[in-house]
Formats: sequence, structure tokens, C-alpha cells
Amino acid sequence: MSKIAMILRRAPYGDINAAEAVRHALGGVSEDIKVSLIMVDAGVLLTRKGQDDTGTGFTNLGDTLKDCIDMGVEVYADKVSLREQNMESEEMVDGVKIINGAEIAAIVNEAKTTMIF
Amino acid sequence: MGKTFTLLLSTSPYLYENTVTAVRIAESALSKGHTVNLIASGDGVYCFLQRQKAKGIANAEEEFSRLIQKGLKVYL
Amino acid sequence: MLVIVKSGPDTAEGKRGVKLARDMAADLVLIQNGAYFAQQERLGGYCGRAYVLADDIRLRGVKESEMEMNIRIIDYANFVDLMSENDKVVGMF
Repeated sequence: MSKIAMILRRAPYGDINAAEAVRHALGGVSEDIKVSLIMVDAGVLLTRKGQDDTGTGFTNLGDTLKDCIDMGVEVYADKVSLREQNMESEEMVDGVKIINGAEIAAIVNEAKTTMIF
Repeated sequence: MGKTFTLLLSTSPYLYENTVTAVRIAESALSKGHTVNLIASGDGVYCFLQRQKAKGIANAEEEFSRLIQKGLKVYL
Repeated sequence: MLVIVKSGPDTAEGKRGVKLARDMAADLVLIQNGAYFAQQERLGGYCGRAYVLADDIRLRGVKESEMEMNIRIIDYANFVDLMSENDKVVGMF
């Protein structure tokens, strides 16, 4: 089974990158590709609980991230980035794994392709 | 007395949140009786193309068409 | 004077906007990713009046309980009023 790593560097909603990352991650797993979605820098803000899109016209990306996890996407957040963004683990949606730089390197090394958002 | 707001929109319709921000500010200012101009510059002009198909995010063509009906003045 | 910041605390643009507001003793409106500046201890030495757009903090899952106490939550109607009341509006950073 082929493997893709996707790296999200940008905070959700301010630009389209987070929406595109979760969209392509879902696309990948539905095609039987093993997808690892790795959030770094402000990208870790996508893991925040309690995102509420009511009346904003946006798609709720927190819910879409949960869909990714339910569909089998491996979802990771970088430990150092979480600290930089003042994120505590209890503020994160369930099922996101916290990893360090060496672990990220291993996932990227193992993947056939890496997409950066 | 109503004032004049002039918004500069220079980014493409779906890459950034700016489209929605511009729509919401324009809508709110118009409803308060202000005059609202929008100058589209650079990739901002793509917000005004016809037959846009965006879903799951505010459709720029639909939103701005609605606001033009309410009095928004757009300059490309 | 009113400074509008739409970029996050991790960006040079966001930091520049907040610094300008501080240096000019201007009021500050936080929107888009700038909403993350409303979290506690994000605004550094800025001690003027700060506002954050309700839609943009709610969308990002930032709760009132984690916000700096003196930051006021506003809607687009309030935002438009602030812009029309101030003689100068700068941004958006």
C-alpha cells in the first residue's frame, strides 16, 4: 500500500491550506492510500476542540479532521509547535498523536510522497 | 450621517479569508446606510468572474452579486 | 486611530500590526488569524483597547475563558461603527 505524508503548516480558516490538506487526506484514504497528516507550526491549531462554524459560511474543519481520524488517516501534531501555540493536550480533538521531530522525519522518510500545505 | 468605506481586495477568491471579511464588512456597512466602494486589484479581480462553482465556502460571485444589488460599488 | 490585525501571533505581519498599535496608542481590532492574539498573554506590552470579532474566535474554537479579560468581543456591526468613529483606520496587517 502506498504511503503519503501531508504536512500542514498554516492555521485553519485564514487561508485555504488546512481545508485542502484535510480534503486531500480524505481523498487519499478513500483510494486506499495510507495517509499521515502531520501538523506543524500554526497548523497545530487545526486540532483545537470546539470550532463553531455557525453562520460563518465556512466548513467546520475541526469536524473534518475528526472525519479524517475516523476514516483511518493517521493524524499527528508536533510537540514543539503545540507549545509555541499555547496548546494543551486537553484542548485537542481525540485521536491526534503528539510526536517529536525525529518521529516526523521517520514518517516523511517512509512515505513515497510528501505534500506540503 | 453615512460615511464612505472603501475596501481594497487584492487576493483571489478562495485562497484567503479576505473575501468573506470584505463581504461581511460591506454588508454590515451598507445595512447601516454607509456608502461602500470596493476596489479589486491584482488577483482580487477573480472574485468577480461569472459561473463560479465554489461550495463549502462563501461563493464570491453570489455574495458580491447580492451586495451589488444592495448598492455596493465595485471598481476593477 | 484604529489598527486592524488579521495575521496570527506567529507571523511578522501580526507582530508588526500589534507593535504599531502600541507605539501609536491606537485601538486594536483582531480578526481572522489575528483572533489568536486574544488569548491570554499574547499581546505583550499592548495596553490600549482591544476588540476581537466574535465569528472569528468562535470559528477557531478559542473560548472566552482563555481570552485576556479586557478584550471586548464585537460583531461586524460594532466593527463597522468603530471604523466609522475613528478618524484613521490602518491595516489590515
